[in-house]
Amino acid sequence: MSAEPSDAGSWQPEVDELAFRRAQADALGGPAAVAKHHAQGRLTIRERIAAMADAGSFQEVGRLTGQGRYDAEGKLLGVTPAPYVMGLAKIDGRPVAIGGEDFTVRGGTSWSGDRKKGGQGGFVEDLAHQYRIPLVNLIDGSGGSVTSINRRGHSVFPGVHGFERSVQLMGEVPVVCAVLGTAAGGPAGRAILSHWSVMVKDTSHVFAAGPPVVERSLRQKITKEELGGLGVAVALAGTIDNAAASEAQCFEMVRRYLSYMPQNVWRLPPVVDTGDPADRAEQALLSIVPRNRRKAYDMRRVIQLIADRGSVFELQPAFGKALITCLARMNGKVVGFVANNPMVYGGAMDGRAARKQAHFVELCDCFHIPLAFLVDVPGFMVGRDAEAAGTLREGMRSVFVGLQASVPMFTVVIRKCYGMAGMGATDKNGLDLKLAWPSAEWGSLPIEGGVAAAFRREIQASPDPAAREAQIEEELRAMASPFRTAEAFGVEEIIDPRETRAYLCRFIDAAQERLATSVGPKPKYGVRP
Amino acid sequence: MASIQIRTEVTGSVWKIEAQAGQKLAAGATIMILESMKMEIPVIAEDGGTLVALHVAEGESVDEGQVVATLTE
Repeated sequence: MSAEPSDAGSWQPEVDELAFRRAQADALGGPAAVAKHHAQGRLTIRERIAAMADAGSFQEVGRLTGQGRYDAEGKLLGVTPAPYVMGLAKIDGRPVAIGGEDFTVRGGTSWSGDRKKGGQGGFVEDLAHQYRIPLVNLIDGSGGSVTSINRRGHSVFPGVHGFERSVQLMGEVPVVCAVLGTAAGGPAGRAILSHWSVMVKDTSHVFAAGPPVVERSLRQKITKEELGGLGVAVALAGTIDNAAASEAQCFEMVRRYLSYMPQNVWRLPPVVDTGDPADRAEQALLSIVPRNRRKAYDMRRVIQLIADRGSVFELQPAFGKALITCLARMNGKVVGFVANNPMVYGGAMDGRAARKQAHFVELCDCFHIPLAFLVDVPGFMVGRDAEAAGTLREGMRSVFVGLQASVPMFTVVIRKCYGMAGMGATDKNGLDLKLAWPSAEWGSLPIEGGVAAAFRREIQASPDPAAREAQIEEELRAMASPFRTAEAFGVEEIIDPRETRAYLCRFIDAAQERLATSVGPKPKYGVRP
Repeated sequence: MASIQIRTEVTGSVWKIEAQAGQKLAAGATIMILESMKMEIPVIAEDGGTLVALHVAEGESVDEGQVVATLTE
């Protein structure tokens, strides 16, 4: 019996070619391009995915995509990989769809294969949609290039690779976008179509179009940093939600954000044991609100003292600073805190704060995260600048979004609760449980502005108008005690500030049944003002 | 020594100046107090430093984002 050659019937030659092709993919744009990228303080897309995902959890899809180069006999010389790397991975043990542009290949510009890998739509977004798992986009690309006209012989209609799937995902699974380089055009737009976005100090920029286009269109000479650095994109415009000091910190923040999110809208967010007693009472809360009504206080500290220790993660800290929005935990359950910031405009709601509140309330409603409002709002911001900035429209939009939301909401009035902005911090379509601290006060408008207008004739007729005005104010203020409203059950409870955590924890625990029986997508109807 | 520009977060007026040029300020120390929306809003030296210059006087109006003081680390 003659022995057959050991490789007869074996596919070893093809497997060797596969190994060669994989090595080509792993080499990205080649050593020179990778070195240049590193020299700018940026990681490659493969390093980014490795840093973001649980160790060894990345299962790549589409590793062989790219442009093969062959000799005259058709023998493979090499492959320039497609400038997009993606697949399935795990973050903190939970599966996610993850992908990002490879800047070292043609600057991460789009690539035309039979099927798109990601960026706008593509396999990675289909994966998130079909498997109902979060999508993590690691963005580092400048979008379309006019050179594609040369390649195709025609210009493409906008939307040929559209945002249909990206928009659909916004109602299905958490979508996180990290901007890790210069994002212009499509990739910049993609970054905004997310539930949360983050960018890195100095190395990340976001704009509709970069400096050369701006100079050509408007004759403005402007740097990338001035046009779309943190100062503009995060602080002034709120285009991107949070800023990270480094790529490593950015990945840590993405991981943190996802820890508060369910895998999809058909599930509830994960409950964890934080080891913090639900009945913990903080002495500091008794005196944190100054008795002098003109003095502000640190509302972030109030949140820290009430929420589970170490569980507070603030979203958009640099934008719309009159309002603070945080994801946190209460007795292990995820809760969204919305708090007015008395340090900025006395907590008055301006257009930016209203936009921030509307987005956050919608986010929490979408992912079944109950909301706790810590209220200290004198009303909508006043003045010509505020009117010109559309405060009324933005403010009423946030009220509208709040009234459409069906997730349980809890109101804790810390100090002022006035007018339409105050109403926007209540659960009028739900249980409408309103707790108040003894420092609370409320009404259609603050007494001190209102007296002069409402009692104008009486004040003018008095021999000492100023004294009469002060006297009326004092009379009204005595009747404005929160205890009088509690007698009428116009507010459900006045609580010792130290009881806030225990009270909220009880109701948030009880609300779990309501949350568990209300999962699924939240279709919206009507027209937002 | 890097200089730090202190900007206001609110439009309002300067109610009280609490620190003087040349003074060393601890982290979180109040430089001045603004009045805005009937509230006293402190302007603080977040990371501390030496106050090099004050750019506004008591009673003056300020706009959101205006530089009101300069510090060095």
